[in-house]
Amino acid sequence: MNLLEVQNVSKAFGSLIAVRDVSLSVKQGELRAVIGPNGAGKTTFFNLISGFLHPTSGSVVFDGRDVTALPAHERVKIGMARTFQITEIFPELTVHENVRIAVEVEAGYRLRPWISRSEAAEVKRRIDETLTLVGLTSKANRLVGELAHGDQRCAEIAMALALRPRLFLFDEPTAGMGDQETYEITQLVRRLHRDNNFTIILIEHDMRVVFHLADRITVLDQGRPLAEGTAQEIAANEAVQAAYLGKAA
Amino acid sequence: MSDRDSARKLIMLACIWAALVLAPYWMPPLGGYTALGTRVLVLGLAAMSVNFLLGFTGVLSFGHAAYFGLGAYGAGFALKFLAPSSPLSLLMGMLLGGVAGALLGTLLVRRRGVYFAMVTIAFGQVFYYIAFQWSSLTGGDDGLRGFSRQPLDFGLFSIDILSNANNFYYFVLVCFAIIVAVMSFILHSPFGRTMVAIRENERRARFLGIPVERHIWIAFTLSCFFMAFAGALYALLNNFADPKGLHFSQSGDFVMMAVMGGMRNFWGPLLGAAVFVVLQDYLSSVTVNWMSFVGMLFVLVVLFFPRGLLGVIRPKSDA
Amino acid sequence: MLQLLLFNITNGLIIGAFYVLMALGLSLILNLSNVINFAHGGFLVVGGYIAYTITPYVGFWGALLIAPPLTAVIGLVTERVLIRPLYGRDPLYSLLLTFGLAFIFEDGTRFIWGAQGKPVTVPAVLAQPLSYEFFFITGYRLFMVATVAVAVTLLFVLLRYTRLGVRIRAGTLDLETVSALGVNVGMLRSLNFAAGIFLAGLSGVLAAGQLGLEPTMGAGLLMPSFIAIIVGGVGSLTGTLLGGLLIGVASGVTAVFLPAASEAIMYVMMAVVLLIRPRGLLGEEGMMT
Repeated sequence: MNLLEVQNVSKAFGSLIAVRDVSLSVKQGELRAVIGPNGAGKTTFFNLISGFLHPTSGSVVFDGRDVTALPAHERVKIGMARTFQITEIFPELTVHENVRIAVEVEAGYRLRPWISRSEAAEVKRRIDETLTLVGLTSKANRLVGELAHGDQRCAEIAMALALRPRLFLFDEPTAGMGDQETYEITQLVRRLHRDNNFTIILIEHDMRVVFHLADRITVLDQGRPLAEGTAQEIAANEAVQAAYLGKAA
Repeated sequence: MSDRDSARKLIMLACIWAALVLAPYWMPPLGGYTALGTRVLVLGLAAMSVNFLLGFTGVLSFGHAAYFGLGAYGAGFALKFLAPSSPLSLLMGMLLGGVAGALLGTLLVRRRGVYFAMVTIAFGQVFYYIAFQWSSLTGGDDGLRGFSRQPLDFGLFSIDILSNANNFYYFVLVCFAIIVAVMSFILHSPFGRTMVAIRENERRARFLGIPVERHIWIAFTLSCFFMAFAGALYALLNNFADPKGLHFSQSGDFVMMAVMGGMRNFWGPLLGAAVFVVLQDYLSSVTVNWMSFVGMLFVLVVLFFPRGLLGVIRPKSDA
Repeated sequence: MLQLLLFNITNGLIIGAFYVLMALGLSLILNLSNVINFAHGGFLVVGGYIAYTITPYVGFWGALLIAPPLTAVIGLVTERVLIRPLYGRDPLYSLLLTFGLAFIFEDGTRFIWGAQGKPVTVPAVLAQPLSYEFFFITGYRLFMVATVAVAVTLLFVLLRYTRLGVRIRAGTLDLETVSALGVNVGMLRSLNFAAGIFLAGLSGVLAAGQLGLEPTMGAGLLMPSFIAIIVGGVGSLTGTLLGGLLIGVASGVTAVFLPAASEAIMYVMMAVVLLIRPRGLLGEEGMMT
């Protein structure tokens, strides 16, 4: 069953067409990578899926439901969680506090002036569980703004996890990271995919990460869909090579 | 939070309350007088109400004096036309300002940042203008007069808060304590944490599933209720309500108190109010040009002291 | 009845023209630097008082030519010394600073020139009404509208066709890119601010001739400017132009039917715009901060 079906979406900003007639179908439990040279419209595409922007045309169907007009915060409620190219976290709060907000919102407590002792205990349990999964337990009481880049990304992923989503959207999770951090994030994403069977869509520039993780790859070039297939198919695809090499030349 | 932090917080809290409870005794020897202390409490409460939005939700509300003024007029109207009851006047004032805030808030939360500030100021001025023009009801520029705070009637005995400054001080202190407790309670709740989330990173808050505009509206409405309550107390303090309390320059004063004392600290605005009130009191008695000095104070604080007095300590989040 | 309506619409346009001049200066500064210049009214008053002071030496026309640039210089100095340190920070701080400046200006003018209002004599050639029938259109009011029209046209020409103007417009949309292209953003902001203050100073000279001078007059003119910007639309100077004229006319027309509400109508318009079209009439989507 297709968890996400994006059909012929386009997005125009005045006369600039950032995304042109892109379609994508992702099955439950799949890890899909979206790649393409700079300016291919990948982040704009993500913005359309997550509700940050509304498409000029086309539709987004999530779990059988048309969400094209649904605002961003509603899409979170029905199961989409997203990380951003530039890490979006709460810098002056601790890791624990960051995740706590996510857990409380997911649990439906966001308007509560008060929670019971047992509810608070359950919240704490879920926070600990999430932090263990991303490996930040030892840094739980550090201010997120003071952490290293890689740890900040882990914290952001922890928040996304705490939302108990059906679909993860990771926008260049390893952007700006060195080899060691890239390795750790890749391993984390792999764990989430393999061990927990999450459905993940990933924008990535680092090809090692892409080929290491992806079930299927979608290639965009200048806002248009260029190719789609397994890692081997894409690696062998001449049009894809030309698009990347063409940019370099 | 570590045990040492908790202990430190408790001690600080105890000191603050001790100072507040004993104010009528340590103020006079220092050249102060009880009514000044009452004034600090009331204006401090107003500054804390503004900070509820400014420091804790990160929202630039600059027209908040409108609700302060509405609270004052509400209390005055209640005492003049409804019943000679101080508690009732407080309730009426709070309702007038709070409901106005709730209604206007629906329009206001559609903007953000500096535009939000502009709109809040402009709307605030509407009430100033009404108070000024509708002189048959409000007394216009002269203000609303002809009422005074009524003794508290507990059936078996009553407390005179009109002529006894100390009694009134403690009455205000009790009211202050109640509102401050409510504020603190909310800030430490899950809802309060969403407020801080919005301040820290609005986009991330939205992408956690928080309907940001709605939460801002709720925070706004709450702060308007608190603000109006402070305004009602102010009317009782002065036995008088005037349009100046609605003017945006009053709003600026409240914001300055919050900034001066430290926006990220719960008690900062109270300290800021104390400093501001004392300074203004002193300045207006020694020079005609006290306005320039207040203006210079604004400039100096902004340029050199933006974290405020209590912000000099490393601000660990209060939520 | 029709004549009364026409009278008030024309009156409204005249008032509106004045609001436009004030609001445009404010809007210029707001769009590029994200600063609400609370002291704008203060600069207006300073401009007016400078004109008042130099009129005995250079006459009204001399004052008209000299006072605005002089005020702009004061504005430039203010911007470089006081406002520049605040650009990277939360907009709250620049708000508070200009707020404090407004106090200083008001009290300062009171200190230097006294609290009494000062009358400003306008050249006799302008003080004559145009005709008996249209007695309300004095030469001065027409002159005011003409001056505003000239100033606004010059402003738009400057923004459209000069390099500085193009940079300002680009900076309004994306300051980071403009900076990356090698433009000195600090200088750009300073000049933009000075331009805005020039308009404020000019407003001051014109206002002086119409209303006389008083230290407190700046604050009262600030609100209509705010409303003009909100109604006309965020980030759009044309919008501000439109907004100013609209509220002026609305105010004039309301004076026919409900004189007491002629000022209140501006706020009503603002409320309606916020309800129906929060970004303003010509505002752009997404210019929320």
